[in-house]
Amino acid sequence: MRTLNFRMVAALFVLGVLALAAIVSTEVRAQAPAVDPVATQILKQMTDYLSGLQKFSVHTQNTLEDELDSGHRVDFDVSANVIISRPNKLYAERQGDLIDQIFSYDGKTLTLYNPSDKVYATEPAPGKIEEMLDFARESLGLTVPVADLVYSNAFPLLMQEVTLAVVVGKAVIGGVKCDHLLFSRPGVDFQVWVADGGKPLPYKYVVTDTGTPMRLSITTVISDWNIKPSVADTRFTFVPPQGVKQIVFMPL
Amino acid sequence: MKTIYKFAVLTITVVLMLIADVPVLFEQLVPEAHAIFGVRRRAARRGVIVGYSMGEAAATSAAANQAAAQNQAAAPAPASPPPTTTGKPLPLGTVVSALPAGCTSTPVGGVEYYYCGGNFYRAVFQGNSLVYVTAQPK
Repeated sequence: MRTLNFRMVAALFVLGVLALAAIVSTEVRAQAPAVDPVATQILKQMTDYLSGLQKFSVHTQNTLEDELDSGHRVDFDVSANVIISRPNKLYAERQGDLIDQIFSYDGKTLTLYNPSDKVYATEPAPGKIEEMLDFARESLGLTVPVADLVYSNAFPLLMQEVTLAVVVGKAVIGGVKCDHLLFSRPGVDFQVWVADGGKPLPYKYVVTDTGTPMRLSITTVISDWNIKPSVADTRFTFVPPQGVKQIVFMPL
Repeated sequence: MKTIYKFAVLTITVVLMLIADVPVLFEQLVPEAHAIFGVRRRAARRGVIVGYSMGEAAATSAAANQAAAQNQAAAPAPASPPPTTTGKPLPLGTVVSALPAGCTSTPVGGVEYYYCGGNFYRAVFQGNSLVYVTAQPK
């Protein structure tokens, strides 16, 4: 009996030491130098490379984590194909649980088209992609897929208030070897996987809302990068198919 | 004595675990419609937090706007109520995320109107979301 007691005490002591060690090591890690210039450098190479691309097409797969009122975790998926031709053309189609939509912009007008609802709306738009994206967001409340990849000032936007930047390691995303980066700022953690060697293209994003206990994320897996897509300019101009009705945007 | 003590500790632990689990059971009884709305509300909130920061929070906007639509009920008061059949006419400019059942569509001046429950609706995009708003056909 006495031996048993001794063993239990010893075991508890070891557990206690381990727990303490875990707490201490987390604290030490939290206090470690926060912004690793190597991580920010890789992010900058990526954003610089993207803003220098005149044309590209890409496929994205988004997963939006969510929580039902019942407490169950659910995911909503959206698949998107995007073609961008600077300075003034963009085409994006999105399909998923919540959306079936085609966005087109030809430098003069932007159009939102819901094929399954057979409706579209058109609006005159500014002559450059970035201005058009600002206009779409501010005046019409529209969001456009991969908008973040388009802005030439993406780097400062992403780095705002960043308190942590680290290279987590190497990962392989869709067969491509990538640097795995983690950044943190108040309320949001984001991870980016950037191709290691060759063109510094992003292959995955994860944005985590750290402001709520659920810590839900939006995951975007990016594939089928094509930096020389052969696409006719007519692709960006919307021509309403037969039987589709025109509606309007509600002003904000 | 020792065994009894151990047994007591185990029992208390199990009871505590059960107590912790009970509220979950209650939450599972939330009606489905409410649950779906809950998703939209959360999606809306998250869209705002993450939205412009990075990635393509884009798709949340569909849900976000729908939630916004539901909150944005009251608008300019109706000058004259539309010709009623059944139901209560809504103020003009009321936004709904889906048409009520049994609407009939009629084009008026090139615009498609949906008539039901004493209201005329027309389809509009509110952000990325397709919504329906009460209107007076012109």
